[in-house]
Amino acid sequence: MTRSFILSAGIGDPALADPAMAAQFVIAAEAAGVDLLLLGRHDSLLFDPQVIAAWAAPRVSRLGLVPLVSSRIAHPFHVARSLSAVDYLSGGLLGWCPVAQGGSAAQLADLVRATRALWDGWDDDCLIIDKESGRYLDTTKVRPSNYVGTHYAVRGPVNAMRPKQGHPLLVCDAASPFAAPGIDVVIAAEGQAFPAAARRLLRVDPDVDIAAMAVRFAAGEIDGLHVDLTNPVVELARIGKALAPITQGRPSSGTLRERLGLPLASPPTARNIHEEIA
Amino acid sequence: MPRPIHLWAFLQGIGHYPSGWRHPGAEPEGVFTMDYYARVGRLVEKGRFDAIVFGDQLQSRGVRGRTPEHLAMPTLDPMALLSAIASVTQHVGLVNTLSTTYWSPEGLAERFATMDRMSGGRAGWNIVTTAHPDTAPNFGDEELPEKSQRYKMAAQTVAQAQDIWRERNAALGPSPQARPVFVQAGQSGDGRDFAASIAEAIFCSAPTIEEGIAFRNDMRARVAAAGRDPDAVRIMPGLSFILAETEAAAIAKDQAILDLADEALCIEYLSESLNCDLTGFDPAGPIPVDHILSQTCFPKADIGRALEKPAAIGLPLGKFASGYVRTPRGHNVFRGTASQLANMMIQWVDAGACDGFTLQPAYMPGELEIFVEEVVPILQAAGALRMDYPGSTLRETMGLPRWPADMAA
Repeated sequence: MTRSFILSAGIGDPALADPAMAAQFVIAAEAAGVDLLLLGRHDSLLFDPQVIAAWAAPRVSRLGLVPLVSSRIAHPFHVARSLSAVDYLSGGLLGWCPVAQGGSAAQLADLVRATRALWDGWDDDCLIIDKESGRYLDTTKVRPSNYVGTHYAVRGPVNAMRPKQGHPLLVCDAASPFAAPGIDVVIAAEGQAFPAAARRLLRVDPDVDIAAMAVRFAAGEIDGLHVDLTNPVVELARIGKALAPITQGRPSSGTLRERLGLPLASPPTARNIHEEIA
Repeated sequence: MPRPIHLWAFLQGIGHYPSGWRHPGAEPEGVFTMDYYARVGRLVEKGRFDAIVFGDQLQSRGVRGRTPEHLAMPTLDPMALLSAIASVTQHVGLVNTLSTTYWSPEGLAERFATMDRMSGGRAGWNIVTTAHPDTAPNFGDEELPEKSQRYKMAAQTVAQAQDIWRERNAALGPSPQARPVFVQAGQSGDGRDFAASIAEAIFCSAPTIEEGIAFRNDMRARVAAAGRDPDAVRIMPGLSFILAETEAAAIAKDQAILDLADEALCIEYLSESLNCDLTGFDPAGPIPVDHILSQTCFPKADIGRALEKPAAIGLPLGKFASGYVRTPRGHNVFRGTASQLANMMIQWVDAGACDGFTLQPAYMPGELEIFVEEVVPILQAAGALRMDYPGSTLRETMGLPRWPADMAA
């Protein structure tokens, strides 16, 4: 399988909380072949990126939505529920980028672990929904997470389905790094250390030399680019056109994980753990 | 000319009846798809509803970590659903339930402010304090704060959120409604006083027209005593309904839906209500009163009283559970024809029993579709329901002043 080039873009402009503007940004990002659209900013909270992602969910067909999730105000129970819903409503096109926003990296990592523990309280195939027999779900496929971490203690089970993709794509911005296994995508600038991740994106300016980047992608140095947008509609049109030679022909259907070739390793279920102990 | 009727759609999961998901007109798989919510959004706008309201809990259904097998569970996060519905609708208000005990003022203020902007001014907040003991361990607590403490925290959290909204509106320009419409549902004395101090709409239960009148009069008096205009508060009791061509057919239809609640479902439902897992007991055996009283974390005296008589006559557990599911608690349950329902609604509103209704469809989306197709045109022909939306924000739709006084800089 050929490696797919990943195009990521970030919008932190408060105009994102204006639905007329947000609608234009989503259309422009889809048209430019963007895979991951990061919503929000690191410095301050001008809007709630999770609300924007939910609002955008019915409007995307291939664009991945990646809200920044701040551990300064988020709680894993709320995060697990909200992201599960948006993953379903977008048809499995959700990622998330946890950021510390002045808080500690340890708390951020704990938020990630606790949220994933809640999602893992439900198995993918728990629903039966058989009107005839009256069985709605397999109760053996749901369990409390009993998560106790450094910052959060969350019992569960969470009252939300395991997300459509299992877990939404986990994106780490090296500007707000955290230590967690199974990071799917990392974004770092030139010279910045890349935390371990399945895919590495280089943070570049919108006017970067695309040809040079294509060479580095072909050499396997990077898996794609991330651009922070200041004038989204104009910049997206330009980037989309410039990158067309390497973004054309990529898969356009399926969930984000399917399309980017980032399957989720199956988590150990409580039953497996029990069997291991027994 | 009758007084105008306001309609809210209370969409809890797949319907209000615990067995509703098994009805042929229910679409249980739909609740995980955007198409379903887009369709429901269009439906309520066709019916000229003020708002969609989602209840919420911060704990999973079930008892002591056992999730029920026969009750529809889980659902998706209401705030995300309402934000997505905002994207595919133009007029309908979007009222979300959020806890003042387990949300930070910063977190909830940000969430509602963004939602108010993205929906063009259609956000509402059903302010709850969270009463279920199983919620606490999901937030690192062993126990909930006690009730009066929770109401104290609620008042503080709301005041802090108001401060944040004022600051944000000054910095970024006001969101279309300045802040979400405040909705409250407390029935107790604490709850009523809290509602009287801030609520612009009140959700309540009123099983009869007399109880509706009494509640509305009481609330209007409390609102006036709090120095607010009683006409700027909408009282919206819950209304469950089963519609058919004749009254007899509606009663039979109701019975048929209730009959979908088999014994296993009823025992799970009762277990949830008592916070005591009864699924391991023989349905043909006696009600395990001692076990229930030793396990439950709900008021033991009330439960003991409720179980006394059925236990004394030797009612088997399964029969008791089935009866429990079939006994309406609190809300008005209507069974009849579309024109009977329309007449009842007009009569209640004209008598001052309420300003409208929070409709609780027995199953979704089928029964709500019947309401919109059959009852809405009758209400409109009678001049009791608007033909079109008067504006774009939820306050305009509810006929309330656009800018809440507490948001003045």
